[in-house]
Amino acid sequence: MNILKNKPIQYILLGLIIAITPFIFNFQRGTLTMFNTVIIYSIVAIGFNILLGYAGQISLGHAAFMGLGAYISGYLTNMGIPFILSILIAGVIPMIIGLILGLVALRLEGHYLAIATLGFGVTIQQIFKEWTSFTNGYSGMRGQPASIFGFSFRSRESFFVLAIVILVLLSIFAYNLLKSKTGRALIAMRDSEHAAQAMGISLLKYKLIAFSISAFYAGIAGSLYIHLIRFIEPNQWGVELSLNLLAMVVIGGLASIEGSIIGAFFLTVIPDILKEIPMLGEIRNLSTILTGVSLILVIMFLPLGIARINIQIKEKLNNKNTKKTALNQ
Amino acid sequence: MNMFFQSIMAGLETGSLYALAALGLVLIFRTSDVINFAQGEMAMFSAFIAFKLFDGMKLPYPLAFLGAIVFAILFGFIVERVFIRPASKASLVSKMIITLGLIMIVGGLANALFGIDSHYFRKAIVADNMNIKGVVIQPNAIFIIAITFFIMAGLFYMINKTKMGIAIRATAQDENTAKMMGIPVSKVYSMSWIIATILGAIAGILIAPTTNVSTAMMGEVHLKSFIAAVLGGFGSFYGPVVGGLIIGVLDNLVGMYISLTWKTVIVYGLLILTLIIKPTGIFGKTHRKKV
Repeated sequence: MNILKNKPIQYILLGLIIAITPFIFNFQRGTLTMFNTVIIYSIVAIGFNILLGYAGQISLGHAAFMGLGAYISGYLTNMGIPFILSILIAGVIPMIIGLILGLVALRLEGHYLAIATLGFGVTIQQIFKEWTSFTNGYSGMRGQPASIFGFSFRSRESFFVLAIVILVLLSIFAYNLLKSKTGRALIAMRDSEHAAQAMGISLLKYKLIAFSISAFYAGIAGSLYIHLIRFIEPNQWGVELSLNLLAMVVIGGLASIEGSIIGAFFLTVIPDILKEIPMLGEIRNLSTILTGVSLILVIMFLPLGIARINIQIKEKLNNKNTKKTALNQ
Repeated sequence: MNMFFQSIMAGLETGSLYALAALGLVLIFRTSDVINFAQGEMAMFSAFIAFKLFDGMKLPYPLAFLGAIVFAILFGFIVERVFIRPASKASLVSKMIITLGLIMIVGGLANALFGIDSHYFRKAIVADNMNIKGVVIQPNAIFIIAITFFIMAGLFYMINKTKMGIAIRATAQDENTAKMMGIPVSKVYSMSWIIATILGAIAGILIAPTTNVSTAMMGEVHLKSFIAAVLGGFGSFYGPVVGGLIIGVLDNLVGMYISLTWKTVIVYGLLILTLIIKPTGIFGKTHRKKV
């Protein structure tokens, strides 16, 4: 049974099980769309977690990368370029722009980086609004269904399989990357830039890696988004989405691949459930308020997020016990 | 040439509001080392309170204005007590994330309580426009610039001359030493949050006639006040004022002479450029990080 302890194999098995559930149970189309968006947000959240959780760099403009991926992929497929190629380009171009942001991050830290990325996000969103020949402005862009070698992922079930395959691939890539020299360098950089530099870790190289990889993930997710929903408009890619991504990662669990997926699940599914509850559903924006409250509660009381809730509770209990014994002695 | 003076005048008007908001940001940053990303949303909430007092309860305008300021005092106090103080030992990024969560809470609450419609809110001064050699000047603009300078003069007097101001500066410099000197540091924190919330509220109420009162009204002002603070530098109290005026004037000139649609992009480009070239801002001192 040792083979089951291998994380990548676990991801593949879990992915297989989840991918076939829509074929066994009969979900409504709306529910399936929701599950699909959970998968898409999981992809962005993993990328964002590499940046925030592992490398310790904050970004408040990540929605822009996702939007960029969506627009690029939508534009290219509308021109007749195959889906596989356009999803790759939709990942690579945000990645290059992420490199530029990484260069900016090299000179800035903490607050200043947050402000710069916030400004970056707003600028890119403004470009989405104004560059109408590319994005079609406020009227929005329509997308084609994804298709690979003539097979069209038009139904929600088949798209779910495609999204899961991509999620599993990217999770395994993230897992291997973070278990390698690069991952350890990122963590060292997060814990202390000076100590990391003293150990011979190039801040330039690893900041660029963190920003470009997370931008790549966001671009891929954006591309999937436009081929799933088949309509996007500039207002979607604003600060609200960036904040939601941040909340996903923090609530789910910083520096944890599973945590990113859990966070994406919670933040996509719970607002939908809340809408169904009779009295509460009437309150506008209840889910936003609750997201904000849970973001603050998690940061204050469970800094490692829901994914590692058991470890944190155990630790707290242990601390209490040691305190008690110390008092008794 | 008239057009040039006209846009400079308009720039000074909005610029002084950016400066007010930026001053609030810097005040909080200097004392409690947090950048309050929710400043804009909090200002929006206070502006809504003023609007509701004026439009819903039919109070006269000055009373509504005062009412909103009383609300802002309570609001700033509660936010500091409930959200910021328990996390005073947390890391910088955690504190930042708390204020980001506040954006969601305050923005969501405003949406739930006040709705998503945008409402017209009157100007502070309603009088005929003045015409000086072809340059049209609104009395309201003069009022805004004057009140901003009045508030700033008061604030600078307080910071430089009064005991409270010395306590604020001491806390900003070194919290532990300030504590040892008998400065009630937690009171200083409360005070700076209250003052910052009032500054935001005033900026919100005064900008309302141009943006209308809505939940999205402060988005632009809030971001511009960040740019103002970055441009002037978070290190000094007069930096953000100069930064705010520069941004206000520049925004209008770029909109006038270069391009109205790309003005936001150009101004944000300036922000990122400042951050790369001189992250500490025009008046900021370079500050060395200790290991």
